[in-house]
Amino acid sequence: MTGSPPQLEPGWVDEVLLAGAADDVCLQLGVPVSRADLRRLVAGRGQVLAEAGLRRGGTVALCLAPSLAFIANLLAAWRIGAQASLLDYRLTPYEVDAALRRLLPQVVVTAEQQNAGGPLRGYAEITERVRTCPGGQPAATSHAVIQLSSGSTGPSKVIARHAASLVDEVTRYTQIDGVPRQGERIVSLASMVHVLGLVGGLLYSLHAGVTLMIPDRMTADGILAAVAAGTQPTTLLGVPFHIELLASVTSPPGLPMLTGMTTGGELVRADVHAAFRDRYNVRLGNMYGMTEVGVIATDLFGEYRPAVMPAPGFTIREQDGELHIALPASPYLGVQDPERWSDGWLHTKDAGCVDPATGLVRVLGRRDSQVSVGGLKVDLTEVEHMLAGLPEVASAVVVHDHAIEAYLVLADGACQSAVEREITTRLAAYKRPRRLHVVDQLPRTATGKLVRDHAALKGEHRS
Amino acid sequence: MTGEIGRPDVVAMLATYGERRPEQVPEEIDSLELAWLIHQVEQRYGLLDVDDDSLARMSTVTGAVEVLTEVLR
Repeated sequence: MTGSPPQLEPGWVDEVLLAGAADDVCLQLGVPVSRADLRRLVAGRGQVLAEAGLRRGGTVALCLAPSLAFIANLLAAWRIGAQASLLDYRLTPYEVDAALRRLLPQVVVTAEQQNAGGPLRGYAEITERVRTCPGGQPAATSHAVIQLSSGSTGPSKVIARHAASLVDEVTRYTQIDGVPRQGERIVSLASMVHVLGLVGGLLYSLHAGVTLMIPDRMTADGILAAVAAGTQPTTLLGVPFHIELLASVTSPPGLPMLTGMTTGGELVRADVHAAFRDRYNVRLGNMYGMTEVGVIATDLFGEYRPAVMPAPGFTIREQDGELHIALPASPYLGVQDPERWSDGWLHTKDAGCVDPATGLVRVLGRRDSQVSVGGLKVDLTEVEHMLAGLPEVASAVVVHDHAIEAYLVLADGACQSAVEREITTRLAAYKRPRRLHVVDQLPRTATGKLVRDHAALKGEHRS
Repeated sequence: MTGEIGRPDVVAMLATYGERRPEQVPEEIDSLELAWLIHQVEQRYGLLDVDDDSLARMSTVTGAVEVLTEVLR
């Protein structure tokens, strides 16, 4: 990975993703979708987006739940040569407005009705609403996709990737042993609006001729039914929660088509790993990746656990206990933060080490305030800043112990219910503190800094 | 499929996810916890017939107890 990525013509979508036999079933979200169906759908959405004013070099924001509509609009936008910003459909209207003010897209695609289908639906059935924004700006860079990470109050948290970076990642997957091949099937439990489900699931499947299936319902029963519904060799793709959920099934049905499961994110406990292997007797693998670059290292056969092997083409080093990844250009837009990328190295903010003899990498947890909530990244400082900025709150500390919790000192005359209302308005559900502890004062260091130690906070709460 | 289910049962089943103590289970239930809870109930009582609207009502422990009481009646 040296030099700047080459700029791809919009034809990459047809060549890399949509090519293939017309009757090949490439997607299954409820009904099977053939490549001919998908090409028609993408062409149709391209026409709608073009009528809304989207052009090559233009900008569109997609705020859609995982769905055929999401896939068609994203591919259509890229096929036009536009830059697509992906906004998590779980964001509140307050958060979406803030993101749109920051990104200034020319066209916005939302759903007529969000959250359609209930909380456990694997995919939504959506009728899109396409809106042209009068003050929208064309793309300032040649990136194909923009994602906002949690904690986007800082200048370097807008993550951008070129089409070439996406194609590189898709190609990287083809070089990794244990990744499903043409004619096989992925049952994806990972949200396609985030990097694992988007590139590792959707884009790779389209490229490699693998059928991508999303279960109707994301319950244990629904997931196993989706696996059982096909005969092709099948890989489950998900996050650690899904291993724990499936490992807890005491008597799963025989699933001869299931060949393995791959998850992104932190490792599951050894007993959960063993229980899953015992129940299903298939490969259980782990991947380490980031929104900024996609998959970085893998252990798809569980042979290096708890370590992972760098993916082909990646150079990883340990610098003062932090993992750095060779990356020729910063993946962040706007004012650059040398704490996140400098001199050709992406600073992952993950503590870790690299074995000089084998190259194996151990990931030892975050060095910053980012936590994972069911596979979704949440920066606790974003939550804390939001709370501390409320007029009803005098001071706040946010910590994570099984769940996000907030310790608050209320402003004079303020009540907790008003704070709760503001949280619901301003934060997506997965970012919200699951518990609010109202205290008279927060523990501080001798120099007056707030203490973020959970035990100290709990002690203060009890006193 | 019939049975009785109360708040302590629901909290106890939720607590088995992530090795939590019952007092660490918050009132709000997120979608992963809901998937977990549904599976725990199904393992104990058999497959549930819960529609999307009812699942949406199970976003709190109180709501989950209400829905499960109706479904298991």
